[in-house]
Amino acid sequence: MINSILRYSLIFFLLMLLQVLLFNNIEFSGYVNPYIYIMFILLLPFEIPSWLLLILSFLTGLVVDFFCGSPGMHASATVSAGFVRPHVLRLISPRDGYEPGSDPSMIIYGFNWFLLYTLVIVLLHHFVLFYLEVFRFTDFFRTLLRVMLSSIFSISFILLLEYARRGK
Amino acid sequence: MRNLLNFLAKYNNLIIFLILEGLAVYLLSTGNNYHNARVVKGIRGTTRRIEQSLSNTRSYFRLREINQELALENIRLKNAIDELTKKEDQLFFSVTDTIYHQKYLFSKAKVIDNSINKQKNFFTINKGKKQGLSVDMAVTSDESAAGVIVGCSDNYSIAMSLLNLDFRLSARIRSNGYFGSLSWDGRDNTHAVLSEIPQHVPVNVGDTIETTGYSAVFPEGIIIGTVCSIEKPGGDFYKIDILLQTDFRKLYFVDIIGNLMKTEQIELENSFQ
Repeated sequence: MINSILRYSLIFFLLMLLQVLLFNNIEFSGYVNPYIYIMFILLLPFEIPSWLLLILSFLTGLVVDFFCGSPGMHASATVSAGFVRPHVLRLISPRDGYEPGSDPSMIIYGFNWFLLYTLVIVLLHHFVLFYLEVFRFTDFFRTLLRVMLSSIFSISFILLLEYARRGK
Repeated sequence: MRNLLNFLAKYNNLIIFLILEGLAVYLLSTGNNYHNARVVKGIRGTTRRIEQSLSNTRSYFRLREINQELALENIRLKNAIDELTKKEDQLFFSVTDTIYHQKYLFSKAKVIDNSINKQKNFFTINKGKKQGLSVDMAVTSDESAAGVIVGCSDNYSIAMSLLNLDFRLSARIRSNGYFGSLSWDGRDNTHAVLSEIPQHVPVNVGDTIETTGYSAVFPEGIIIGTVCSIEKPGGDFYKIDILLQTDFRKLYFVDIIGNLMKTEQIELENSFQ
């Protein structure tokens, strides 16, 4: 228990460091803003109670908000992602269910499963986030393009990080 | 009572979700306002130290460029001094001028945190109330418009960048004086849009766009950029695409311009509305 708390704190810390120091500084035409910190929500164990998942999502979002100077925006998007995570996991569960005591990872459940899982949650998170940011529906399709492009980059980076995690 | 408890047990996740989401939306709606940057300010206080050290590291890598910018500025200032001293030799002027009042207050500051890749961009500068800054002062970079201060703490201020969907500025064409409204459309961090210029006005590609003094924030004649392309979207007005003079990607030294007579102007204008 203590061990896994330590492990997740380390993951949280590393992801925040990457997000704040590296990914928040990517300046690529204003259409691409990858947000990889959402990977923390993806990696939490299957057995985590929903209420804890929601509160952790909220706190994660709030920490990113601190650094982006946008109170509530990331928190709101991350809480939505945390809310749908159990439903998504149920929908895409393998035929014989999840192994007890395991956490969502590419090694155990394969590349396709992990890609689908990441895709759904990242898309939803980015969708909420970018529409909250502009807070209007004029230029609907341009915002949609930003959602798509940023999601592609976020998902690629998350998959790369997951590969790196597997290497360890 | 039992039904209520059952209900709560059944939907507890949904309830927590709604509470947290409500909290987030509340923060969002109170914290991001144009004039109410209080929450942003409070939150910025906690991360300011990290930003400062990040900025120090970044500026270290850009020392060569910064040196060049400063050298150029020095040359310009020296030229200005030379012109002024020559004029003083020839002109006659009263030492105790009772009509002249200083209208603008100038100050220099460094940008310690800047964003250009969002739709609502802000930047943080390293001077605040204690250094005489206050809300609604203009920020310029290298004599061209960069933003407006929206929140001040004791030693730091947050400015709304020109690259912000909520930013509005009264701007005019230097050659003929017709004025319109300048805003950013969120597409490109080197371009902005000038609207409300009527279609009978002659506009050419390359014309200089500058600020008007109407808003009492920016002084008159600060350069914003040049006309890049002109569109006729139908209706009576042009939609003019402007290439911005300020390069927001390397905003570092900025000038703060405060209008000392702003309250007087605004009071007068309000009394006639």
